[in-house]
Amino acid sequence: MHIGAWSRALTLATAGVFIAACGPGGTTTENLASPDKQILRANNGTEPNSFDPTQQTYTYERAVGIQTFDSLFRAKADGSDVEPVGATSYNVSPDGLTYTFHLRQNEKWSDGKPVVAGDWVYGWKHFLNPALAAGYVDPFFDQTIKGASGYGNVDVSSASAVDAYLNGLGLSAPDDHTFVVQLDHPAAYFKWVATLWMAVPLRKDIIEQAAGGAFASTDATKAEAWANNAATIVGNGPYKIKEIASKDHVTLVPNPNYWAPAPHLQQIIYYEIADGNTAYSQYQTGALDVIGVPLADVTVVRSDPKLSKEAILIPTLSQYWISMNTTRAPLDDKNVRMALAKSVDRDKLVNDIEHGNGKSLSTFIPKGMSGYDTSDNAQSFDPAAAKQLLATSGKKDALAKMKLLTRNTTASKTLNQFLADQWSTNLGVNIQLDVIDSKTVTRDIRKGQFDIYGLDGWIGDYPDQQDWFDIFVTGSCHNLNWGCLSDPSYDDLVTKADAESDKTKRASMYSQAQKKLIDNAVVAFMYQPYEYDLVKAYVKGLTVTTTDDQNLPGDGRYNTAFITQHT
Amino acid sequence: MAIPATTVEQLVDWEVPEQQIGLWSDALQRFRRNRLAIAGAVLIAVLVLIAFGSPLLVHLGIIQDPIKQHVEFIESSPGQNGFAIGSDELGRDTFARLLFGSRVSLAVGILVQAIILPIGLAIGLAAGYFGGRIDNLLMRFTDIWYAFPDLLFVLVVVSVFGPSLLTIFGAIALVNWVGLARLVRGQVLSIKEKEFIEAARSSGSPPLKLILKHLLPNSLGPIIVTLTFGIPNAIFLEAVLSFLGVGIQPPTPTWGQMVFDGYEAIYANPTSVVFPALAIGFTLLAFTFVGDGLRDALDPRMRR
Amino acid sequence: MAVIAGRPARGALLPPQLRALTGTRSGALAIFVVRRILWMVPIVFFVIVITFTLMHLAPGSPWDKGGGRQLSDTVVNNLNIRYGLNKPVFTPWFDFSTGHFIPFRWDDQFKLYIWNVAHFDFGLSYQYQGKTVSTLLLESWPYTATIGVLAFLLIIPIGVGLGVVAALRQNTRIDYITMGFATIAASFPNFVIGALMVVAFSVLAYRATGGNFYLPAAGFAMDDSLIMPVVTLALLPIAYTARLTRASTLETIRQDFVRTAWAKGLPERLVVVRHVLKNSLIPVVTTLGPTFAFLVTGSVIVETVFAIPGIGRAFVVAIESRDYPMILGTTILFSLVVAIANLVVDVLYVFIDPRVRLT
Repeated sequence: MHIGAWSRALTLATAGVFIAACGPGGTTTENLASPDKQILRANNGTEPNSFDPTQQTYTYERAVGIQTFDSLFRAKADGSDVEPVGATSYNVSPDGLTYTFHLRQNEKWSDGKPVVAGDWVYGWKHFLNPALAAGYVDPFFDQTIKGASGYGNVDVSSASAVDAYLNGLGLSAPDDHTFVVQLDHPAAYFKWVATLWMAVPLRKDIIEQAAGGAFASTDATKAEAWANNAATIVGNGPYKIKEIASKDHVTLVPNPNYWAPAPHLQQIIYYEIADGNTAYSQYQTGALDVIGVPLADVTVVRSDPKLSKEAILIPTLSQYWISMNTTRAPLDDKNVRMALAKSVDRDKLVNDIEHGNGKSLSTFIPKGMSGYDTSDNAQSFDPAAAKQLLATSGKKDALAKMKLLTRNTTASKTLNQFLADQWSTNLGVNIQLDVIDSKTVTRDIRKGQFDIYGLDGWIGDYPDQQDWFDIFVTGSCHNLNWGCLSDPSYDDLVTKADAESDKTKRASMYSQAQKKLIDNAVVAFMYQPYEYDLVKAYVKGLTVTTTDDQNLPGDGRYNTAFITQHT
Repeated sequence: MAIPATTVEQLVDWEVPEQQIGLWSDALQRFRRNRLAIAGAVLIAVLVLIAFGSPLLVHLGIIQDPIKQHVEFIESSPGQNGFAIGSDELGRDTFARLLFGSRVSLAVGILVQAIILPIGLAIGLAAGYFGGRIDNLLMRFTDIWYAFPDLLFVLVVVSVFGPSLLTIFGAIALVNWVGLARLVRGQVLSIKEKEFIEAARSSGSPPLKLILKHLLPNSLGPIIVTLTFGIPNAIFLEAVLSFLGVGIQPPTPTWGQMVFDGYEAIYANPTSVVFPALAIGFTLLAFTFVGDGLRDALDPRMRR
Repeated sequence: MAVIAGRPARGALLPPQLRALTGTRSGALAIFVVRRILWMVPIVFFVIVITFTLMHLAPGSPWDKGGGRQLSDTVVNNLNIRYGLNKPVFTPWFDFSTGHFIPFRWDDQFKLYIWNVAHFDFGLSYQYQGKTVSTLLLESWPYTATIGVLAFLLIIPIGVGLGVVAALRQNTRIDYITMGFATIAASFPNFVIGALMVVAFSVLAYRATGGNFYLPAAGFAMDDSLIMPVVTLALLPIAYTARLTRASTLETIRQDFVRTAWAKGLPERLVVVRHVLKNSLIPVVTTLGPTFAFLVTGSVIVETVFAIPGIGRAFVVAIESRDYPMILGTTILFSLVVAIANLVVDVLYVFIDPRVRLT
């Protein structure tokens, strides 16, 4: 059977299995192992740089953050909408500017104290403190919340300036169970912003105690003193940190004061093994229960009778594309860009190099999100048309001088060598690779000093189209819109759609914007990667969703998971 | 890592021989008798042939093109799909890439030594000839250089100046010149002790020309041995650099890169890492045997 | 008239009390050690200078991420302020282009760093928020030290033993086998050997014995998970120690006093242990310093393959993420370890070889 069809079948099958096994609290927990065996050992790859969720930006940090702290909402398992966690309901004022969140009545911190609205205000202000320089403030929070847009202009050496900024934010707690956020302008996607893992409550008393007393808001070191010690990391999430073994593992145990029924898992251990092969060895010797399968080992796993039964294929809400610097000739010519896009055989990439773990995509929004639409095939593989376009532009020689900027990771090098080979075979143009270390590549693209950059990967922060379309607005030039293509009509559509609360109108505007992106060949869309993981047969009840963290299937809802008896 | 400078000194440290006539023919005789050294030399000769001849072999169609991708046949095992010893992560012929990798490895080994030679000679000569303060300063300078972790230096230099061939070769050379400098200095110092130099000295400073005239023939042996021992070191360092991700640009095949990329597939296709490792290993062995042979052949204490 | 050599006599500039010390051997030794320790200060200083320069030449700031959403310019700016990266890297007191003296600034990054180091403050890590470099080094140090020391304990007996045996049985089969093994071990990249060992002794052994007898593939615990990393680390030093011991033992054997011992009919073992070993170990001792340094720095690869959270791994990660204080702290630590190891070796040298004069 063709690999593409095979993987589709497997995906549907596994999705069905998991979703069927997990109704709300109605899991069939036959054959449950004893409580001392309810331990899940997974590989988180890297130690979080910080255990303060407001400072976390990477997926391996979020993996720990969402266990220890809850936001107001989280994405539903199928990604269609948000569902209540920290807040049970919310109202939006008719003008779309005031969000009133009704907090969960019986939510408690892991030390037993009740969570109050004041904690939410304190937490969000801690997050929005310019002196702490949290990575995710922009653009989600400083461009939505009232009074927050001056984030970039606050003098962080002056405590009074910082305090003035923080006190001017549209955050308030009229009573202990109501948290009010005022926006600067309507933003229909704000409920999704409220699902982000940094938007959490924090305990002022614990933070100040760990800092040795009250501290100036400019003192970032004191403000973070609580985050390095398991004892002072007190959260409102389903789990709490029992121990941090630096750069080796983090152990999580259930939060005894959590509002939901107690989970089956008594311990979750996140190891920090950077090498994929090492983790794979650990899995095979029974030291790990869940891992991501290294790409090179995919065929081995598929052909192994035992391992293939333990493997799951998960679509991710992410995409890879090729960025082209539209300020440099000949890449300013649409025909040249389109020629590059149309001369790559994406099916070969997905089926042969990625061993079927993905879905070739020549449109923007990936499968599993609303807005997924493959009707526009302007960029799809057509070598003859590509050659024609390049000939029409007459810039073949100029194109041959371009370089393909590549990060020095195995994955990047492999894929980019494939791309270069495709362009050489299908277009007759020999584009050289420029392999540089990762930081330097980022510096180059931020300064716009590149020709072609591949493969640029994007993982959605939440399953709403706003997160995706804002990447390519003019204002994002040098900040995600590396190619700096400017299209005022596109900007206009996106701005309107972001603010629009009517679902149908919104979808239609995004759809038009998508068509513009594809037809202009702003970037060359390549494929949507799927995640291929191994999960031991005795680990059951994982609720696998598309918004889980990398190589940690089901980490959004560990309360449904359990270990069955096994030797 | 660098072969410790003192190790090399220990292995080649001997005094300038009194008699120079017949050194080379005697050395050649002894070298020829050393079977391991001959084997090593033969292997190196074969490598050189392969390095120069591989493009011709591709042209004649005897071996496949090392950069031609066949993505339908990724990670083939030996013998599968028409690949002699399998294919790599992009379906390229491993055998062809192995042969082509010899070019980079030999280049690394030899060119690095070519860079080390003038640096080590100059500094060693200066230290030995001028003596006193300058000698002290230069030796302290080598101490500092020695205390510097060479892996850091190479990593940072390559990160700063980009992974071009010249940068990588230069960086490897810069961390390994200390041994040669110390050796040359020792040789110059022992020459300076000779009577005829004393005589010359009483009429001023010992003439540079005289020292050079005696330095060259007597030190050529130990210098050659030092350089030969340095070659495997350079090849090894290139492999480590590739393992840490800062090596030579793809799609040029290098053995270090092949080990690095093949390491990822060690479960799926172990031969993809074993064969390049064997290639590195045998090359290092060959140079080590030749180095041993040269040292034994040129060691005046072993002369009959 | 005697020709007066150009240099003043040793100890000519010392006060009389200390000069008396140079006469005694232990006194000379003490002065030697003190001088070497004092030398470490300028050495560390220059290492800092070189590292500092290289680091700040490296393109890419610590705040650039490896992919996906980047930090906004505002955040980058605030981070730079927070960690003092907005200050100039270095302000020389003399401007060569204009030929004027510049008012001396105390607060450029370089001078601030030197000042802090003098107070043993190595700064905050850029990568691990809120943790000091000293804390991180202290956390990682035990792992590296443990496998380093264990490897050392393997290297000395095995390396020396193989070398002596090979020398005593020169040109026999034993000689070829031991030296062959040593050379092969030194020729193959140790990370390949490490990876193959994992495949063989971990996964395949697990499968073959149904999960009963196997070595763990990763992680650090004071048990059999240390076997493979330590062996991988020790292979290369064993190899060149063996070769070196063999060479110097061969030399020692040819000496007259050993020939005398043979001629006297003493049993081989007595001759070896009492006469040969001590002398042939002299050059081996000199390599102990570099060997130790190698164990400290060469553990990078072993730590990567076997997922051991030691200093080597931390160092490579620090370079990748441009964590400047961590890079500097680790480099200083490495240099000090190497310098101290060399000093210890030189002192040992004095005790082993009575011919040595302290220079």
